[in-house]
Amino acid sequence: MSGDHIHPEPTNFFRKHVFSGDHKVIAKQFLWFGLIWLGIGGLMAMMIRWQLANPGEAFPVLGPMLFPRTDGVLDPATYNTLFTMHGTIMIFLGLTPLMIGALGNWCIPLMIGARDMIFPTLNMLSFWTVFLGGVVGFISLFVPLGATEAGWTGYPTLSTTVGGVGMGETLWAVAVFLIGASSIMGGINYMTTVIRLRAPGMSWQRLPLTVWGIFLTSVLNVLFIPVIGSAMLMLILDRVFGTTFFVPASIMQGAGGGDPILYQHLFWIFGHPEVYILILPAWGIIGDMLSFFARKPAFGYRAQVGAMVAVTLLSAVVYGHHMFTTGMSAMLGESFMLLTMIISVPAEILFFSWLHTLWKGNLRLTTPMLFSIGVIFVFGLGGLTGIYLATIGTDIFLHDTYFVVGHFHLTMAASALFATFGGIYFWFPKMFAREMNPFLGKLHFWLTFVPLVAVFCIMFAMGYAGMPRRYYDHTSAEYLVSLQHMNKAATHAAFLLGAAQLIFAFNFIKSRWFGKPATQNPWQVGTLDWTMETPVPYYNFKEIPTVHTGPHEFSHPDLPEGQDWIYMTERIGASS
Amino acid sequence: MNRIANFLTGRLLSARWSSALAVLLLAGVAEAQGKRWGPMPPASDYGYRFSELFWLITTLCTISFAIVVILIAIPMLRDRDRKGHKAKYDHGSALHDKRLTAVISVITFVVLDAWVLVIAMRDLREAYWNVPEVDEPGVYQVEVLAQQWAWNFRAAGEDGEFGTADDILETNHLTVPEGRSVSFQLTSKDVIHSLFLPEMRMKRDVNPGAINEAWFKPIQSGEFTILCAELCGYAHYQMHGHVTVLPEAEFDAWEAGASQLAAAGYDPEDEEAHWAWDWEQ
Amino acid sequence: MTTATTTSPAALAAREEVKTRVDVTLGMILFIGSWTMAFGTLFLSFLVLRQRVGVWPPEGIALPSFPLASVATLLLVASSVGLHRAVKRWEAPDSTAKSGAREWRFGVGLGLAFAVLQGALWADLWAAGRLPQSGLYESLFYGLTWIHGLHVVVGLACLAWAWMGLASGRYGPHRLSTVSNIAIFWHFVDAVWIVLYLGFFVF
Repeated sequence: MSGDHIHPEPTNFFRKHVFSGDHKVIAKQFLWFGLIWLGIGGLMAMMIRWQLANPGEAFPVLGPMLFPRTDGVLDPATYNTLFTMHGTIMIFLGLTPLMIGALGNWCIPLMIGARDMIFPTLNMLSFWTVFLGGVVGFISLFVPLGATEAGWTGYPTLSTTVGGVGMGETLWAVAVFLIGASSIMGGINYMTTVIRLRAPGMSWQRLPLTVWGIFLTSVLNVLFIPVIGSAMLMLILDRVFGTTFFVPASIMQGAGGGDPILYQHLFWIFGHPEVYILILPAWGIIGDMLSFFARKPAFGYRAQVGAMVAVTLLSAVVYGHHMFTTGMSAMLGESFMLLTMIISVPAEILFFSWLHTLWKGNLRLTTPMLFSIGVIFVFGLGGLTGIYLATIGTDIFLHDTYFVVGHFHLTMAASALFATFGGIYFWFPKMFAREMNPFLGKLHFWLTFVPLVAVFCIMFAMGYAGMPRRYYDHTSAEYLVSLQHMNKAATHAAFLLGAAQLIFAFNFIKSRWFGKPATQNPWQVGTLDWTMETPVPYYNFKEIPTVHTGPHEFSHPDLPEGQDWIYMTERIGASS
Repeated sequence: MNRIANFLTGRLLSARWSSALAVLLLAGVAEAQGKRWGPMPPASDYGYRFSELFWLITTLCTISFAIVVILIAIPMLRDRDRKGHKAKYDHGSALHDKRLTAVISVITFVVLDAWVLVIAMRDLREAYWNVPEVDEPGVYQVEVLAQQWAWNFRAAGEDGEFGTADDILETNHLTVPEGRSVSFQLTSKDVIHSLFLPEMRMKRDVNPGAINEAWFKPIQSGEFTILCAELCGYAHYQMHGHVTVLPEAEFDAWEAGASQLAAAGYDPEDEEAHWAWDWEQ
Repeated sequence: MTTATTTSPAALAAREEVKTRVDVTLGMILFIGSWTMAFGTLFLSFLVLRQRVGVWPPEGIALPSFPLASVATLLLVASSVGLHRAVKRWEAPDSTAKSGAREWRFGVGLGLAFAVLQGALWADLWAAGRLPQSGLYESLFYGLTWIHGLHVVVGLACLAWAWMGLASGRYGPHRLSTVSNIAIFWHFVDAVWIVLYLGFFVF
């Protein structure tokens, strides 16, 4: 185990770069993996938007290459596969590996003062398991009887053989299962590491909020991924062995007796905690970064931690708000509505804390700071629209319309993505010993922020007008034809959004190999990860540090003149 | 609780008219350009509730978000890093900070959530989930069998019994009387669908192996929309249809005629067409 | 570095072992927590689906053999007891590599016997014409016991691995965490089986 002693550095190429147990190497593996899949998922989004704005027209350039049979036009089955895979990829193969796999792996040992994760081999396995999951998911696209088409939610009976036979949906379920297994491995590793390997003086009250966020996410991963794992197993059994967990008797001519709604319960008992799994690291990261770049302490550190813990504890009891139209009893529905509203209170507390961190600060509007402030904006907008959906009176109309799509993209996708970008810009100098171009970073932010808000706000209007989601073509039904102008507007904004990511890709790749060499602590931040030289040696800390100060002691009155920060290993007021 | 809801409704009565006006205005302007920005006006007796609640929430959210944006903008402009400028060192752990947080949380919850919760509960109990009793007189009963990819509607016909020769069957089209409650019992042949009547502001999932209930009362005659609102396969987007609402007298005439036609054309051999169930709870 | 009271190699090794044992056991407990949620989900689904059906077990069909299942359960419980005793013997202050070996072998042997009887239970039901696609009862029975069975197979492999490690001297009183954690996993497999047994054969 990675305890106090320094283990020898591996020399073999495979042990060093492929099957490494070094959390820093694994973090970079997750980073490249996540960025590539984010790109693939993003491309799928462009195709979806293209089809909606220009029904029946071939997708430019790539269309004929990818879909030769239809001359580049997306047919309805392909379209359904695209939005299914877009969701699955972005959540499981994009954001999760990036925030939890990459940033989690990089930050935890370095920020708590440990040499590595407590189970390095498990760490390595967790990467290769998600990699395998990605491979299986990719293969599932090319099987003879067609790929998955049942949405990332995979509701039976559409996802059972009633909806379609073949290996496509089955392999999708296997891929989700493998990816889930990887998350559980990571979750166990992160939790045990944070509990057992904190350096002397690194108390729970001094832990950076980033670590808190990832720790609580790990709790949810460990507890709730197994729920969807079991649901996927039952789905696979139904598809492959003819069992009837989710297939009712009326379809199986009496032999069945399963319940498709059972799946929905299981899926959302996982699914709602999953959205918190995706947002808790983001909340943690910006909790720290707003402090770092406002040069003042994170406002209400205890309140922020308490709010994150409260959300973690409540996350599973609100899940029914995804199922208001299924025909549940009034009492159950009203309970879920009330609980959903209650869980918004801790989120509101976080919000006030962030705003108060900015207030009367000394703001350095660097790229990571812009993205962090961006999170406040998009999460606020997205979170408020949650009220319409928590309220059954409005949800009945808005359920399964684009209103929901706008809501979850702002709260989940945009917020987590902005925090991820912020994190990448922030830790890039330490990870790769080079700096990313700041001008391109800020340009990337603004060219992403404006179109993104545009796309998803248009979706609120679409939903209010009654436009359903997961439709191949909104010009088929007469009611929807006069809404087509909104599709066109959203697609224009979406393509701008997509193009803006090329700025990031260029900046990232160019800086990785040709960027200006980074200084040891370019952001002037005091957490333990910045105490080390750049590049970080494979053993991290030559001597395990002792912590004396909190992570957010910026602009403390007792700091020396001209210095508004201090390392966590130093003492305030001691002679420097 | 009813008193609270009514008190709040009193406040909203003006909101009902203004929101109706807003919807009509938008609809009018949009129609002129062939572009629509909102839903078609409501055509059911409880339909007004949706827009009313929607615009209430919108007002509250707009005010809240405006405050948030101002609270972001001020520091970004006023507190920028510059020579001689210092940040205020404050952990926010003082008692007055905790009090402020608690007070703001309570106010936010009451204004944004509790107020809206009470109204929603009233709407559910009075309208959306207040399905007519099984044997309530005057209710027009319709059995719905959804399938990939069509809507099958069955009315009891003149004899008032389901599963008889004079049952009126329609596909992707439903004829109902104006001014009478229309009560649905819904099930699916294969996968989950969802019956969405946007102008009626009604939506209910249609599950295989179970029977769901829903209802609405049309208050104007005309042609309205049926959409499917749960992914059900690659032709999910094509699973649409129309509801024709006929004034009472016309409807009675139509029902009589359709019933007789159905009885005349009844084929005892056609098993598949004989889907029906006893209308019970 | 660490606050040391004695620095003899043996004392350091012993302390390292305790710290490592706690680290690894904590990870193991989290793993068991996670897997409890997984089997909990399966069992909850079993209860939900079962209570929707009027008559349980369904009448007129061949059911898995109650005597066979009962004997298998007793064997599995005994196997867990054996492993537990083995670990306890190795944990005793003056233990040697041989101290718990007999109980460990006993536990593994009984575990294998359980697996064989489990196979017989399935074969018996299959031969009577009850297959996974035959209905809800079969779906639940095969589904849940197959998933459990996978864990039995993995568990047996781990038990064998531990046995080999103990024989070669890799594991022993000086390094017990892997062995004790494998035993914990086996106890978990045992506990899940007891729940399944109660659900399918008793209540």
